[in-house]
Amino acid sequence: MLNDPSKMTLVLSRVNASFADEEKDVLALEDITLSVPQGAFVSIAGPSGAGKSTLMRVILGLMPHTSGTIVRNFSRAAMVFQNYALFPWLSALENVAFGLRMQGVPRQEREHIGREKLKEVGLEHLENHYPNALSGGQRQRVGLARALAISPDLLIMDEPFSNLDTITAEALKADLLKIWRSYGMTILMVNHLIPDAVELSDNIIVMGAHPGRVEKTVPINLPRPRDVRGTQFFTHVDTLTEIIRSVS
Amino acid sequence: MAGVMLVALLLAASGYFGAVEWFALIEAVLHTTYRLALAYGIALLLGVSIALIVGWSPFADALFPVFDVLQNVPSFALIPLFIYFLGFTDQMIIFFAVSSIVWPILFAVLTAIKSAHTDLNDAATIFGARGLRRIPFYLAPLSFPAILTGSIVGIAIGWESVIGAEIIASAGGFGAFIKGADVSGISQAAVAGMLAILIIVFVVNRLVWAPLLAESSKRYAE
Repeated sequence: MLNDPSKMTLVLSRVNASFADEEKDVLALEDITLSVPQGAFVSIAGPSGAGKSTLMRVILGLMPHTSGTIVRNFSRAAMVFQNYALFPWLSALENVAFGLRMQGVPRQEREHIGREKLKEVGLEHLENHYPNALSGGQRQRVGLARALAISPDLLIMDEPFSNLDTITAEALKADLLKIWRSYGMTILMVNHLIPDAVELSDNIIVMGAHPGRVEKTVPINLPRPRDVRGTQFFTHVDTLTEIIRSVS
Repeated sequence: MAGVMLVALLLAASGYFGAVEWFALIEAVLHTTYRLALAYGIALLLGVSIALIVGWSPFADALFPVFDVLQNVPSFALIPLFIYFLGFTDQMIIFFAVSSIVWPILFAVLTAIKSAHTDLNDAATIFGARGLRRIPFYLAPLSFPAILTGSIVGIAIGWESVIGAEIIASAGGFGAFIKGADVSGISQAAVAGMLAILIIVFVVNRLVWAPLLAESSKRYAE
């Protein structure tokens, strides 16, 4: 099943990408080969400098790759950012409805959908607030609702929990799993917090740095909902931590 | 500012302005203000449009240094050019002022677009603000704080340009008025005129720019 390309949301094969520096090109991604199965929750972990965020930008076509092939088997991708990246001039509801507005959805309809999505992330009472009046956790929820509003079949998340305190992150993780189950979309998440990655993912792709490359793909076969206090859980966390330490 | 008001009132009460031709003075100050307002309007439209289009285009990085050199040309060095084409007229003064106001606005907006956070740019792209739609739905609102600061700087420069051009051209307005007044010393009329302009600047700042700045710094704060 893992090798059937028709069941893959995303297949990268020998993808290279580089930044144009002042003098020379710096290789950011080297020979990236990976595949993301449809409906799977895949995390990407690795030290800083491994090009994790660059890889997300390349996958989304926001940055060109220099060689290799990318098969994009999804029709609509959305993204949730580490720093939220909400539009400060729009209210929470307008932020959520932004993608629909760009698609030409009439105001009433997009506001209706926007309110539904805000409700799903538990923020329906804050629809008229501007981002500056929201806490980090609330902003990230608006960011998630904005992504859900365009009904993505691929949701890319770039370290969505790393700016949040533990309790906020725990609550958001639980909601995210619920949303993933009910929507059934594919999720690709950059996450350097190993316990989070083990708790959430079907697969964890470990990247190494300078240049960014795929070191190893680790399947997490623990049953869901996952027991984050169990021995098996900690064994996985330890194994992964060891792998990441060895590539850092 | 309260000090300026107090000085103005004290001077008025003491009869210092007894000999001032108020009608001529007010007419002159209003004429200058009108020219500045018109020049600002044109410069705002021009500066913001050019900056948005250049910032949207893939040539922003290449054109930035060109604009940088252009903005550094002292505007008064080019005033003969404006006089040559437009004569000692209203239009000359207004377009000359436009040529000095437009740069701070253009630069502020272009800088805001160039320095926008990659994540925000990516979010705009991913959620569909692509092609020409990017300008009204993303780049323009993104530039709002820059339009404000650029305007404030531009108008400050604009007062100088309009009054300076009026002094040179003697084509009415406050510049021509103080030139015509006793320039050997500070005459009462010139003092009254300066106070009038100070008050206009203060009132516009308080009623227009201060609230807009407060709003923008609140909303656009990180």
